[in-house]
Amino acid sequence: MKKSLCIVCAAVLCLCLSVTIFGWSNTPLLVDDADLLTESEESSLLSTLEDISEYHKMDIVVVTTNSLGAKTAQDYADDWYDYNGYADDGVLLLVCMGTREWHISTSGYGITAVTDAGIDYIEDCFLDDLSQGYYYDSFMTFAGLCDDYIEQARNGEPYDVSNLPKVPFSFGKSLLVALAIGFVLALVITEYMRNELKTVKNQIAATEYVKNGSMNITHSTDLYLYRHVSRRLRPKQTSSGGSRTHTSSSGRSHGGRGGRF
Amino acid sequence: MAVLQEYKCPCCGGAIAFDSTLQKMKCPYCDTEFEMETLASYDEELKNQTDEDMSWETLAGAKWQEGEADDLNSYICNSCGGEIITDKTTAATSCPFCGNPVVMMGQLSGTLKPDYVIPFKLDKKAAKAAYNRHVSGKKLLPKVFKDQNHIDEIKGVYVPFWLFDADANANIRYRATRVRLWSDSNYDYTETSYYSVSRGGSIGFERVPVDGSAKMADDLMESIEPYNFSEAVDFQTAYLAGYLADKYDVDSDQSIKRANERIKNSTERAFASTVRGYSSVIPEHSGISLKNSSAKYALYPVWILNTTWQGKSYTFAMNGQTGKLVGNLPLDKTAYTKWLLGLTAALGIAAFAVTYLLWLF
Repeated sequence: MKKSLCIVCAAVLCLCLSVTIFGWSNTPLLVDDADLLTESEESSLLSTLEDISEYHKMDIVVVTTNSLGAKTAQDYADDWYDYNGYADDGVLLLVCMGTREWHISTSGYGITAVTDAGIDYIEDCFLDDLSQGYYYDSFMTFAGLCDDYIEQARNGEPYDVSNLPKVPFSFGKSLLVALAIGFVLALVITEYMRNELKTVKNQIAATEYVKNGSMNITHSTDLYLYRHVSRRLRPKQTSSGGSRTHTSSSGRSHGGRGGRF
Repeated sequence: MAVLQEYKCPCCGGAIAFDSTLQKMKCPYCDTEFEMETLASYDEELKNQTDEDMSWETLAGAKWQEGEADDLNSYICNSCGGEIITDKTTAATSCPFCGNPVVMMGQLSGTLKPDYVIPFKLDKKAAKAAYNRHVSGKKLLPKVFKDQNHIDEIKGVYVPFWLFDADANANIRYRATRVRLWSDSNYDYTETSYYSVSRGGSIGFERVPVDGSAKMADDLMESIEPYNFSEAVDFQTAYLAGYLADKYDVDSDQSIKRANERIKNSTERAFASTVRGYSSVIPEHSGISLKNSSAKYALYPVWILNTTWQGKSYTFAMNGQTGKLVGNLPLDKTAYTKWLLGLTAALGIAAFAVTYLLWLF
């Protein structure tokens, strides 16, 4: 009797725990197999993911791993999403340390909200942090952007090719670039001013002393020798927007893409 | 040694000089003006007359130690009897005692006689004005240099120039390319066609000037070019009265190298400009032969202004015909740094504002 009470207590405790750790669909929204985050970072990121997921009734998942096994990053991400009982709508970020690849897989409404152009933008925002090892920052950026994207999509028009959020104005970088431009321009101007002081120079030619009409061309040939043609692949036309989708091993449709870091 | 020529006013006996404004000889004492043409014949007579005075030139020369006077000439002023010491090349100057303009005939006769002279058109005042314009509006010139604006010396000098005529025969081969761009749905294509282009022919140059005075810096003299030769006249010593003049001390054989260099460059440019319609033209082989037909000797008018500042001397030269004034000026390093930093800050902030505005909209 006592034993069974213990089991019941343990089960209740487990349930309570699982409710706090597991998100909307009761599957872990953060799986840090590659152990990139500290405990406190983990709990902070997890609570962010849970808040967003709860609010939008979608699953925003971050998965890190050391190895993809025999799968590609896309298959690994899609399968992870499909076979772990997440909600129908969601976005998953996979980071594999073994191959240094990342992949974002979208499902259901996630495909609508996080378009290909949107993923390009996410990449711009989080890739620097990711490759420099600021994993927590890059994951938080990802989560924050997903939140924005879904919010925007629910309000009517998802972020897409012609409708992207602004890249945050980077004050320091812009100032440095502006000062560099200023310095180069200032150098040109002061060099001009310095040249004004120097007026003594040798003449190079004697053009003023050419006898009028004395130039007489007696022989003039333009002989064609050979030609050389080089070709370069044209940059692909920017997509017309939306998300390209593919079908994963479970038969579900996914969007998204990945890259290296 | 040679003799002096002074131009005396037939009216009052005062020493007369060439007036650049009137383009005539003018007596500063009685304001009588004389046509240059009249003086041309008068000149001849005076030359004959002075020949008779050859006897008293030994009087001065004898007193010099051996070797001491090798680079110097001495003359006796016809007006005041003062002894004028000049260096070997001086052909016209003024007497240091009475200020009368004198011309050394011996420096300008025989093979030394110039063929042409371009008379001064601008006077000392114009030279000063040009100098003031030259130093104004230059922000990196030390302010003190402008404020202590004192010119040590302004002198009008007839500088000897060699004028070379030449015909150039050129045969130049170029490697030229033409680039065509097009694209289809998958690729951008760049087609580069290579051509061997050759041009042959001739071009003539006339009166390319080379400074024949070792005293005058070549780059300074080339900087005040060009002179308008159509205003040149046959040489008459009377034009020199009132100015300084030098005879050449760099002969035409030495000077011709410089002229040929410039002629060669000009020829290459002229022929290169006939190769049109290509994206790039690179000369592969250039064969230019020059036939120098003649070298003439001329005196060109130059105003020389000298000034010293912080122990360094600065020389300015003004074309006495066109008024073009050149001369290197000192750089204010502090001002340079201030401008560089100030402009960097101002332009940097402007660029920053533009980036920010572009980001906003």
